[in-house]
Amino acid sequence: MKKILLLAVLTIFATNAARAYVDDAHSRAMEAATPQAKQGFLVRQEYWAGTLATKQPSVVKHQLFKGNTYWFWLGSDEDSAQVTVHIYDPKGNLADAEAWQKGNKAAVKVVPKVTGTYYISFSIDQSKAKKNRWALAYGYK
Amino acid sequence: MKLNPLLFLAAAAAVAAPLPPPAQQLDLDKLPSQSKVIDQVVVPVPSEVFAALDKLGKPRWAGLIHREASKAKPVGEAPQIALMLGSIIAEGFIAVEAEDTEEVKDIGRAILSFSNAIGVRKAVVRRANSIIEFADKKKWLKVRGELDGALNDVREAMVELNSESLAHLVSVGGWLRGTEVVATLVSSDYSRDGAELLHQPGLLEYFQRTLGGMKSRLRDHALTVKVRKGLADIRPLAGGDDARVSQKSAKEIAAIAGDLVKAISSKP
Repeated sequence: MKKILLLAVLTIFATNAARAYVDDAHSRAMEAATPQAKQGFLVRQEYWAGTLATKQPSVVKHQLFKGNTYWFWLGSDEDSAQVTVHIYDPKGNLADAEAWQKGNKAAVKVVPKVTGTYYISFSIDQSKAKKNRWALAYGYK
Repeated sequence: MKLNPLLFLAAAAAVAAPLPPPAQQLDLDKLPSQSKVIDQVVVPVPSEVFAALDKLGKPRWAGLIHREASKAKPVGEAPQIALMLGSIIAEGFIAVEAEDTEEVKDIGRAILSFSNAIGVRKAVVRRANSIIEFADKKKWLKVRGELDGALNDVREAMVELNSESLAHLVSVGGWLRGTEVVATLVSSDYSRDGAELLHQPGLLEYFQRTLGGMKSRLRDHALTVKVRKGLADIRPLAGGDDARVSQKSAKEIAAIAGDLVKAISSKP
């Protein structure tokens, strides 16, 4: 009986530990990526993530190659969040080819005119939470 | 119950409050004080630059495969094995471009062997098996995804083992092999657009910074020293503010990256 109880407790711990690794913000970003993944965009496994205060703009730098088309998808684990994402070319000019935002998900498409370092600017514009977990993923084709 | 239309409109407006349009210009030096520049860098996988090259004209990928890479055995200390592992994963992306099923399967097995030598085999077993399975079915997009996943899982496992520096070396090894191939292709069949793909100042700066910031045991390892010197030599050739890279520079980049890949895979 003791063995069964111990096994049950260990199972609960193991389940909780596994859940702790699920990144809900990344899951939201992946939901936003679904249409492009179906269109043959290769969604990168590695992604940027962290926590942000509301209305705190953030910038990620990333190397893009002319000839490819890219999508960047932003997600937050906070249901009340309104997130936005835009992209700027190496000279700092707005380079959005298409952008949308819907609640705690947003995305931007870019077709680089030059190869180089681009700046992905994003923010949590509204949220009931003080700190918001975010994740930014991208894909290319 | 009657709905107050004014309240309804107010609620709807609150939900669909238009967000301000994006600024037309971003000046990193003049960001608001509360802004945050994220330090984390995601290194592009070789297939990103290969995909761009493919659009300029179909290169003959099969001739670029280093077939000895998939037969190689781990040699040297952990830094060398990490660099070799990154280079082998990059080789996998080249073999995928060539749609060479047997080579991709051999690379899947080599990834397992090198991951085992560096203590991260468990993290990559499923990916390696998927690489082999999808190569057999010629599902190349899936193979690309699994190679990317293998790279990510290996690096994450290394970080969990407090070997973040080795994770960086895996990235550098992959980048060097990818760069060697791109530089070789664009220098032999030169076009301005093709050569521009070598313009990667941010990544070069990042690699130099991470390698230079490693603990002395790794930073001063003979191979790491050689790689750091090679990166320093490549940086001015790959263009500064100007994205133009000349044919001569592309040739020199190919030679430097090629020498480093050779050193990475040679017995110490």
